[in-house]
Amino acid sequence: MRRGAPRGTLRGLLRSHKPQLRLAAGGDLLVHLNFLMFLHRLAEEARTNAFENKSKTIKPEHTIAAAKVILKRSRG
Amino acid sequence: MDGVRARRESRRSLRRSLGDRPRSGSGSGRVVVAAAARRALLRQQPAAFPDVDNDTPRALLRRVIRNQPQVSPLAPPIADHKETEDAPSEPSSRRTSSMVELQLPDIVPEDTSISTFRMTRSRKKLSISEFERAADKRLPQNQAHSTLDSTLARSLRMSLGSVLAPDTVEKRGLLRRPKNRKAIDIAAFEGGVEQNMQRKAQNYLVELQTASMIEAATATSDAEIMLNNTELFVQPQSVEQNQKKLPALEPRLSESKTPVQRSEISNATQEEGRLVGRVSSVGTDEGRTRRYSEEELINDGEHVDNMAHVSQETSVNDGEDEQGHSQQSEPVEQLSASAEVAGTMEHHTNTGYSEHLEKKLTERAESQIIMTPEEEVVAEGSVKHQDSAKPEPEMARSARAGSLSRHSHAFSSEKSGTKPLEEAVEQADELLEDRAVMGQLDGPEEESTEDEVEMEGQESEEGSMKTPTFVRAPAYRPLPLLPTPRSAKPAAPESPLQPQRAKPVPKTSRKSQKKQREPALASSYIKQIFRHYAKMPVARDAYQIIEKCCEKYFKQLSDDLEVYAHHAGRKTVEMADLELLMRRQRLVTDKMPLHVLIERYLPMEYRKLLIPVAVSGNKVIPSKSMWSSGKW
Repeated sequence: MRRGAPRGTLRGLLRSHKPQLRLAAGGDLLVHLNFLMFLHRLAEEARTNAFENKSKTIKPEHTIAAAKVILKRSRG
Repeated sequence: MDGVRARRESRRSLRRSLGDRPRSGSGSGRVVVAAAARRALLRQQPAAFPDVDNDTPRALLRRVIRNQPQVSPLAPPIADHKETEDAPSEPSSRRTSSMVELQLPDIVPEDTSISTFRMTRSRKKLSISEFERAADKRLPQNQAHSTLDSTLARSLRMSLGSVLAPDTVEKRGLLRRPKNRKAIDIAAFEGGVEQNMQRKAQNYLVELQTASMIEAATATSDAEIMLNNTELFVQPQSVEQNQKKLPALEPRLSESKTPVQRSEISNATQEEGRLVGRVSSVGTDEGRTRRYSEEELINDGEHVDNMAHVSQETSVNDGEDEQGHSQQSEPVEQLSASAEVAGTMEHHTNTGYSEHLEKKLTERAESQIIMTPEEEVVAEGSVKHQDSAKPEPEMARSARAGSLSRHSHAFSSEKSGTKPLEEAVEQADELLEDRAVMGQLDGPEEESTEDEVEMEGQESEEGSMKTPTFVRAPAYRPLPLLPTPRSAKPAAPESPLQPQRAKPVPKTSRKSQKKQREPALASSYIKQIFRHYAKMPVARDAYQIIEKCCEKYFKQLSDDLEVYAHHAGRKTVEMADLELLMRRQRLVTDKMPLHVLIERYLPMEYRKLLIPVAVSGNKVIPSKSMWSSGKW
């Protein structure tokens, strides 16, 4: 992560979804952390799927299957 | 002498065996050894018969030792002192070996028979002293001969003395006999030292040279190894290389406006377009994605024959992953190349054009179009057009259109869409190609119906705008198809937008509206993060899926946070809410606290903000004062 967390974008995203909701001072950083971990889990799952298919690259099918699992798990 | 030697050797062998066996410590072994020793002794000394004492190895050894000094081992060296000097190695070795061997059995039965040893030792002592005196006498005589001899003699004496010293110390009960030390001849000593030094220096130099060479070799190799292995993981290099290849392809594609290439490509695309058209008619969404790849493969393929066959096969087999995988590299590159080309094209054209294209793409992506009747019509139309239109420019145009359309499909989710055909049209304009060809090309594509309509309409307009060749466009209008309701929608905004291509005002308004609606997280940023976590090359299509996943994820996230905040009776999402969310996602557990995750994933500056650190002066960073938090 060389760019740094896009804090403004995160706030904007949250506002777009829930305009009435406010966010605390460091909240967007934790949101960013959550987002990173979500991507991490997604990447791991996709990688596992790719390995299972004995392919050296991650293909859309792998990511779709991974997304189903991870999105369900990260519903909270 | 021979007899003595023979006896010595036999004793040596005996003692060796005896010396070895006690170490092993097996009683049976000792018995065997004893038997062997007895036999050997009997052979050598038939006079000594096995007595009660001789049963034990100790007794045997004692007997041997007692009998040994009949012939003093040192006597011959004294007599042959000169001879030994000439060839000191042999006798010294023999003497040392014999003395060493003597020592071994001496050590073992020491407890039992010390007196006898003393007797023997005394004899030895005498012999040694005698030897030394003899050697001393001989020394000054030998000095005249050569320094080498003296050194050799001295080395010999020293070796002998060293060998004897421990023995004497042990056996005489720490009684030290003052040894007569000769006044060392300084000249001879120095000469010997110099010789040694020279020899050593030579050896050292040689060693140094070899070592340096070896070091140099190893250093370079290490350096190379170090330099080579700077990447996080090897795979990205290939990806980057692919990416590098793509820009290489891109200039090639953009610069090489040779009709030959295009004709080839267009031939391939047309042939396969037909096949693709038929294939695409049957399909689910997933199949469509696969076919997209196939199409891309097909259309971008430079090997016409191979691709044709492959396309047929794939169409029959519903596009296996293996095929797609094997060919994906090509289409991926081609796609990127085409994307690059499209990008360059976009630079050339007005931004409004691209906007329209993007919007069109998004709309198309969202719509679920049943293309079967349209595709058939299109295929027919394409067949017709093929006969009429010029081969080269048509091919090129079709190729461009196909590639661009695919490219646009790829980017549909992200960008607002205008027609890819527009871009292709622009290219065609530049290339002075028929518009009909574009229509043909769009037809075989799944979503081509709308495109065709719009393309043709646009082409007609663009033709009027740009080149005279587009004047033909209106002739081909009636060709395509029933516009779907969605096509009407994009057609409407596109038509008014087309004349406004030059004006950036509508485009900016659209763009700003788009951005206001949804502040999109930078796709490249997501790509970067995902690639870093995946540690594997990721297909380009996968990124679109990841993008959608992220959107869904953010939606879920905001919903959850709202629920949590509301549950806590708050209207602001606090850190506690986020921690609760992470806990429910099993990211934060009792074993894995939040701070650890923060430290692991976030950079330092954010860590400082999030984790309160206590510093001296009763201060906590970041400060949690009353006025900073919203509650009070």
